[in-house]
Amino acid sequence: MTPLLDVSGLTRHFGGLVAVNDVALEIAPGSVHGLIGPNGAGKTTMLNMVSGHLSSSSGWIRFERELITKTPVDVRARLGIRRTFQNLKLFREMTVLENIMVGMHGQTQCEIWHALLRTPRQKAEEAAIAEQARKALDFVGLLHLAEMPAGSLPYGSQRLVEIARAIVASPKLLLLDEPAAGLNGAESKKMVGLIRAIRDSGVTILLVEHHMDVVMPACDTITVLNYGKRLANGTPAQIREHPEVIKAYLGGGVKRRPKADQPKAAEAAHAAS
Amino acid sequence: MTIDQFVQTMLGGLAIGCIYSLIALGISMIIRATDILHFAQGEMLMVGSMVGLSAYWMRDLPFPIVLLFGIIGGGLISTVVELVVYRTLRMQRVALINIMIATIGVSIVLQNVARLVWGSEPLGYPSLFDSKGIVVAGFAVSPQLLWIVILSALIMGTLILFFRYTRLGIAMQAAAQDPDVARLMGINVDRTTTYTFAVAGMMAGAAGVLLGSLFFASFNMGFITGIKAFVAATLGGLGSVAGAMIGGLIFGLIETFSGMLISTAYKDAVGMVVLILILLLMPNGLLTRAGREV
Amino acid sequence: MTHSNIARIVVLVLLIAAPLVQPNAYWVHVFSLALIGVILAFSQQLLVGMAGIVSLGQGAFYGIGAYTAASLSIAYKLPFLLAILIGGLLAGASSLLLVPIVRLKGSSLAVATLGFAIIVHLVMMNEDWLTGGSIGLMDIPHPTLFGLPVGGETAFYYVCLAVAALVFLTFDRIAHSRFGRALTAMSQDEEAARASGVAISLYKSKCFLIAAIASGIAGGLYAYHSQYLNPNDFSFQKSIDILMMVIIGGIGSLPGAALGAAIVVLVPEVLRSSGEFRLILFGVMVIVLAGTGNRGLAGVITDLVKYAIARWWHKPAPTTAAARVS
Repeated sequence: MTPLLDVSGLTRHFGGLVAVNDVALEIAPGSVHGLIGPNGAGKTTMLNMVSGHLSSSSGWIRFERELITKTPVDVRARLGIRRTFQNLKLFREMTVLENIMVGMHGQTQCEIWHALLRTPRQKAEEAAIAEQARKALDFVGLLHLAEMPAGSLPYGSQRLVEIARAIVASPKLLLLDEPAAGLNGAESKKMVGLIRAIRDSGVTILLVEHHMDVVMPACDTITVLNYGKRLANGTPAQIREHPEVIKAYLGGGVKRRPKADQPKAAEAAHAAS
Repeated sequence: MTIDQFVQTMLGGLAIGCIYSLIALGISMIIRATDILHFAQGEMLMVGSMVGLSAYWMRDLPFPIVLLFGIIGGGLISTVVELVVYRTLRMQRVALINIMIATIGVSIVLQNVARLVWGSEPLGYPSLFDSKGIVVAGFAVSPQLLWIVILSALIMGTLILFFRYTRLGIAMQAAAQDPDVARLMGINVDRTTTYTFAVAGMMAGAAGVLLGSLFFASFNMGFITGIKAFVAATLGGLGSVAGAMIGGLIFGLIETFSGMLISTAYKDAVGMVVLILILLLMPNGLLTRAGREV
Repeated sequence: MTHSNIARIVVLVLLIAAPLVQPNAYWVHVFSLALIGVILAFSQQLLVGMAGIVSLGQGAFYGIGAYTAASLSIAYKLPFLLAILIGGLLAGASSLLLVPIVRLKGSSLAVATLGFAIIVHLVMMNEDWLTGGSIGLMDIPHPTLFGLPVGGETAFYYVCLAVAALVFLTFDRIAHSRFGRALTAMSQDEEAARASGVAISLYKSKCFLIAAIASGIAGGLYAYHSQYLNPNDFSFQKSIDILMMVIIGGIGSLPGAALGAAIVVLVPEVLRSSGEFRLILFGVMVIVLAGTGNRGLAGVITDLVKYAIARWWHKPAPTTAAARVS
């Protein structure tokens, strides 16, 4: 099967430092691919290059066989690459529903003059956007908070709003940047379920995450980065046994929670639904 | 352009540039300490100029004393405004853009109070020392301009020494760079902010006397000069003290040379075009907001 | 009918009644000037309140619109509405000069627009063949509508009111559209908006374009209103005045912008009797109003009304989500 995302030789320098060094990555459609590694391994840099927020120093990125290495962020978004941010980036003073509606921006067309004339097409589109946004909110379980200002929500809910905003337009590829950061054990379990559910709805996912209790049950395949280089690639089971990976992590990079029992995927999915 | 003209223009540009530097310094210091774009900085210059002139009227004082009065006048009014207006607004956690508008309000008030006190006509200034041309290194130069450069250099030099070697100067720098850490280290950030306004006002007051001696003093001399100094500070990199000095000099030179070479009418436009180009090509100004030097 | 619609109709009725209550020609003249200010404030509100762009250049577009309408009217005897419309469009076209600088952020963008305003002002001062230079443009004809002269201050007031109402409706619809939503999102988090597919620079440019057209139309009205143009009517101080209107009235609210414009234009006139103190009082007012917080006078009034309603009906004041363009 041709990969949805195909990255090759991707490199990024920051001054003299090489944050990502000649990394290759292939993500099969319909899978959850994890990107893990110790702190400073270049995971977020990698994700930022795929989303377009960072330009690459060299290498190329293909999305559905099209070269997108130089494509701007907003165009990639319209192609169907959406993301969340490690440090929440919500439109804090807009309502939750409006936040999600902005997520539909790239997939809708009405211009200013449609709004000025209140054309039937504009009315229909606005109604469709709102409807779609409500569905997405319902999917992450926040429909009851739709009219709240986004900034007033508790941290865990804000994470969910970000995810809803990213998936509302049914993207082809969803980039999740540490979605479980700052969540407690129970919330993390729900997050795993949510990630699987999003995948099951037909969205391919690239997941950057520290927490092994999220990565292992959520991912179908995993790439391990260390010092900007690709260390290993494989299924969660292969990665867990990989000698190089074990060595890299013995240096102390894996964050485990006190109660780090591996939740079963099925159980987690149940918890989320 | 002959070499002689070039030297004259150069000196003229440096002189006016020094004046811009003095005001831009204050604007930059205030931005670094409080993030406030201080639109009333030009009014501090105007008040300094007026106070200096009044002192001269009362008693035929020598120029350095007039300058000192200007410095004190600018410093005092700046301190009062900070204590009465800006500190109150900061305490109420008013948004920055509102404080910026309040500085425009301060500017309106000071201008019109000055108009009440000193009238609306431009007021002649005593010339700075002797206005007869002197010959330096084979070039006839105006001592007026030369003195402006020398006095500005002295004032800015003193400021640098103050920031480097005095406890208060170092505390002010620390507070401007990282208020939270400074607080932890026992620095009273509110107080250093007030001192920042005081010092910024003193610089502007000095600039007012120097600018007045070059042209004249009037109630509305400050606003446009302040805007130009603000542009100069942006040129150098907003928030960088060294950048403000260099930005002021460059802006003065650009203005004077383009007035000479292109047209007097469009000399300000050239400065603005350069500003926009620099913002586009070097978004952080010539010197970035490192703030570690000076 | 919603509360906001009732409020709009009440305000409209009051504005229609204003020249009847105060028929003094001088005051009606000033009221028209206030309405022109309201249009300018709306244009600034689109930039600051919706898109989060602080523009210090609206005075320039105002001037371009004014000089264009005046010149067309003097030289080609163009009808009033057409001249104003072309003035607005030319101001809009000139906003395209800002396209290269829209990628600047925050205060850099503000300073760059200020630079633009200063350059435009210098052109008005110095290009005598185009603008009459520092002497200005005189003998701007009286406006005519569909061949009929717009006679007297009151008639002109109603023209200004109609234009201001039209601009209000336009901007209100923009605020509640996909475009407006994208602007608000952009003002709160540019990166996140971009990641949702908003082409930031394009949207900022469009925003400048629309705001410039509105400012230019206001300029055209001003040209017919004063029948004499001087470059100093359009100095950067004007740009700052326009920003001040929005901050005083309240960032993000169109009615707030209108209120701010009314204050900035009318208060100095009302205080005229206090002679030399009027601008000092005005300055003090600016400082005090700036201190009322981000929502400006509109916010204070809304809070007071809510408080009053709560007291009278003995029920808690309704809490709304963020106060934005309504």
